[in-house]
This record gives sequence, structure tokens and C-alpha cells, in this order.
Amino acid sequence: MAAQILSSRPGPRKILRSVAFYLLLGAIFFVLLFPFYWAFITSLKTEIEIYDFSGNFLIPRNPTLGNYDLLFKTPRYFIWFGNTLLVSVVTTVISVVISVMAGFAIARMRFKGAALAGALVFITYLAPKGFLFVPLAQILKDWKMLGELSSLYITYPTFLIPFATWLLSGYFSSLPHEPEECAMVDGASRLGAIWRITLPMATPGIITAGIFAFTASWNELLYSIAFVNGEMNKMLTSGVVGAFNSGDFLIFGPLMAAATVSSLPIALLYLLFTDRFVSGITAGATKG
Amino acid sequence: MTTAPRSQPSPLSAFFGRVLHKDKTLGPILLSPGFVFLAVMMAYPFFYAVYLSFTDKEAGSAANFTGFENYQKLLSTTLFAKTVVNSIVYTVFALVLKFAGGLVLGTLLNRPFVGQRAAKALMLIPWIMPTVFSTLIWNWILSPAFSIINEVLVGKLHLLAQPLPFLRDETWAMASLIFINVWRGVPFFGITFLAAIQGVSTEIIEASRIDGASPWVSFWRITFPIILPVVIIVMLISTIGTLGDFDLPFLLTRGGPNNATTLFALTSYNLTLGSGLIGLGAAVTMSMFPILVILVIASLLRVRRQQDNI
Repeated sequence: MAAQILSSRPGPRKILRSVAFYLLLGAIFFVLLFPFYWAFITSLKTEIEIYDFSGNFLIPRNPTLGNYDLLFKTPRYFIWFGNTLLVSVVTTVISVVISVMAGFAIARMRFKGAALAGALVFITYLAPKGFLFVPLAQILKDWKMLGELSSLYITYPTFLIPFATWLLSGYFSSLPHEPEECAMVDGASRLGAIWRITLPMATPGIITAGIFAFTASWNELLYSIAFVNGEMNKMLTSGVVGAFNSGDFLIFGPLMAAATVSSLPIALLYLLFTDRFVSGITAGATKG
Repeated sequence: MTTAPRSQPSPLSAFFGRVLHKDKTLGPILLSPGFVFLAVMMAYPFFYAVYLSFTDKEAGSAANFTGFENYQKLLSTTLFAKTVVNSIVYTVFALVLKFAGGLVLGTLLNRPFVGQRAAKALMLIPWIMPTVFSTLIWNWILSPAFSIINEVLVGKLHLLAQPLPFLRDETWAMASLIFINVWRGVPFFGITFLAAIQGVSTEIIEASRIDGASPWVSFWRITFPIILPVVIIVMLISTIGTLGDFDLPFLLTRGGPNNATTLFALTSYNLTLGSGLIGLGAAVTMSMFPILVILVIASLLRVRRQQDNI
């Protein structure tokens, strides 16, 4: 800002800097976004055109929905989509409810061990998924859940609860205490005051935790390939990775159609809640 | 919810009323579901992993305690040596590039321009989109036979005589892996750094500029020290995530060629789910533990300090 005020004399130097600024910004955004364009364009091409780089290959010559047609004629794809939707919604709801309770306790209640609990939540939030999948697989096996879709319902919250609790405790500690206290003076019980006064104030934080949890479930790969067996139990991630793969060769047309459709719910969520995503990230909610 | 009749509370409801009212009792009650869950699903597996790493557990057979045998075995295999070196190279390069790229993006976007809001929203797309599907896209972009990059560099612009061996050459494969990690992570760094930069008082910066400091000097002398705590936390958290990464090497290269891109989680995955060597695989992931402890403690201290300052 200051730079603008000080160098507001118009001149060739300033124009040059402006041009350099837009060129750099344009180059960066090209690298960041081109892959999505290329995937989408590829998904609209015929199989022959996909591998033909003569002429202008950046625009499909004969746009076709053939790849999407092929994808939608694969019944398994809908089963994976359904599995992913179901697992993501259920684990998000369970995790957010548990995290609201835990985050509230850590942020707003004085009791022995509250600070320790906060530290432990942060530690579990930092633990990478690749760290615990070996013993988790053994435990699921002991419990006769290995291979079943149900294993995901109980393992996904291991990465959802820590970060949702971490995010929500930060949110709860930023809310004022007075409204809740006033409600209690007026005769409400403690839980009544929390339910009717504090939780509604925390709605934006709860929504943020929910969309991050849903996104994290939707995107999960390691647990869904390590803990689940059988085509009908696959998630979108594990299913699409295995499908359209004839030996060493990936069939890119339908694969790019699958990537596009499978990312659509997250893209839609992002479109609806861009600000919540940005505020959640800057609150330090997630790993980069 | 607990509307005990206020006029004549029975002893029992009065008791529950008190329990659900006091911080001392309500706090632990609210905390307990999460606490029990994380104890069973994270603390217990952690100790289970420590135990497994000291056994010869294989798929389908019982575990026998073998002491440090797995760790000794790992130290003598090239696979593990490669895993360690790959993980260090991957993490260090990715972090340095995300740091530099994040600063560039953060400062660029701090300058007001037409479409700034849209730019911020678009920038985050690589980070929001599911890694699995964006990595499949990169598989296509870097595909050995039909890479668009090679088609442009060799076929259209004639800048190169030979196509680049993105996923077939060991060094190129690692470089590709790092690049995609940076591509995905840099928006996150950029947006966090931008938020931190925007929190710096413009008056201090203006003052330093009036005193004759160039934008470059005033950034490094004034802005950067102020945003440093945020930078450090983001770097620490991202280091842990990058070190423990599974998705990217699994999807892009399966750890190849010649194990040049395998990381801890993927090596462990191949040993346990591929070869059934569960004890040995557990030892691989446990080898991450010392460095994770250091990173976690550092993050914890940093976050504490940050919270105390607010």
C-alpha cells in the first residue's frame, strides 16, 4: 500500500513495473490452473484426438461427451460415489459433534487437564496419516472389521476430530462469555445457555469445521486402499485409481472425466463457501 | 436441555444440575467422547506400532518378540537408506520452494489490483481439489509417451531435441514429485503469508519507506520479522505433512523408478500390504518418530507462544 502512495508519480518505470507484476502473476496462475483446464479439455476429446498433438490441441476439435458416457455406464462408479458421500457425511457429522463438545470444553472451561487436553489434541492433529495405518490395520483385523466399509467410519475420525477440535477450540475462545452468563442469570441452565446462546454464535466456525472435515474425508486415499477390500466397498479415490488402468497404461480419456466429476462436489462446496475455506486456512486449520 | 424443575428439585436432578453446571465436572464430560475415541484409535495404535516394530509379525502368523532385529535389518537395506534420503530431499526441497513461492504469492497479492478477490479464490484451487484426482491429472501431463510439456517443448517450440523423462528417470521423477507437492502446497503458504502480511501495520512500513528504505529492505527488515512466527508454524506443520506423505508418491510413481521416490509411508505400505512384513513395516513408520517428536514439540512451543502473544 505504502509503495503505491510513495511512487504515485506516473512514469515509464511505473508502467514497466506494472507490466512485470501482471506477467509474473499471470505466469504463476497459468501454472496453478492449467492442469485443470487440460484435464477438462482431454475429457471432451475422442480417444484418437487425445493422443494427437498436431495443430491446436488446446481446444477439442470435435467435443464429445463419450468419456462421460463411458464413465456413467460403469455402475461401480455410482456405488463408489455413494460410498464416498455416505462415509463423508456420516464421519463429518460424528466428528463435528464430538469436536464441538471437546473444543468447547478446552476453550471455555477451567478444569484440571484442560490445557493438557488442548496440547494432546494438537499433537494428534499433527500426526501424519502415514504414521499409524499399520497398527490400525492390525487393530481392525482383531476387531474383524478389516476389509469392510465400516472400518472407514471408525478410522476417518482419527484425522477429522483432532483438526476440527483444534479449529473449534480456537473459534470458541474468540467468542465473548457475557451472553452465556446473562442467559444463566435469567434462569437458563448451563447447557441450555450453551445450546441457545453460544452454539448459534459459533455457527460460522462449526460450518468451517464441517466443510473441512467433509473435504478431508472425500479426498482420503490411504485408509480406503489399506483397510477396505472388494470393488463394492471402494471409495471414489481408491476406485478411480484402480479403474481405467490396463496394466501399466492409464486410459486417460475416461480417467480425466472421472477426475472432473469426482472433484465436482468439492469444487461446488468451495464455490459456495470460498470465504469459509479462506478463513479456516488462515486460522491455521489444516496441513499444507 | 436439563430443565430440572426450579421450584422443587429432587436430590437426583439437583445433583445432575450441579454436575452439568460446574466447569470442573461439565468440562471433562464434554471432553470425554473425543478423549476416549483418540485414546482408543490413536494412542493405542501408537503403542501397538511400537510393539509390532519389535516383533517378527507377518501376515497370517503370530508375532514373536525379536528386539531390535527389524531396525538392524532396516539399517542394512538399501531400500530403507533410499527411503530416508528420498524423504529428506523431498521434504527439504518442497519446503524451501513452498516458503519462497508463498512469500512471492503473498507479497504479489498484497498489492491492490483489479480482480484481487477472484485471484485469491482461484489461487486456492490446487490446494482444495482432491489430491488423488489432481495427481491423476499430473500423471497425464507428465505421461511418458504423451506429455503435453514434451509435445510443446520438442514438437512445437523445438527447444529440446529429446523429450524429458519426467517419471522414468530417477532425478526427474523426484523433481516431478517435489514440483507437484509445491504446486499443491504453495497456495496454502501464499494465503497464510498474505493474511500475516496484511496484519502488519502499514504505518510502520510507510515510516520506513519515508526514511528511505527500499521496498526490498523494508520487507526483510520490518515485515518479515513480524510475520516470522506465522511463517515458522506453517513451515513446521507442513514439514510434518510432507514427511508423512503417502498419496503423491503412491499415485505418481509408485515409489519408482528403482525406489528413487519412495517415502516412509509408501515403503511401509509396500512392506506390510505388499509383502506381509508387518513388523518390519511398523519399524519403518516408527523410524519417523524421533524427527516427528522434535517437529511436534517445536510446533507446540511455537503455537503456545503465539497464543500467549495474542
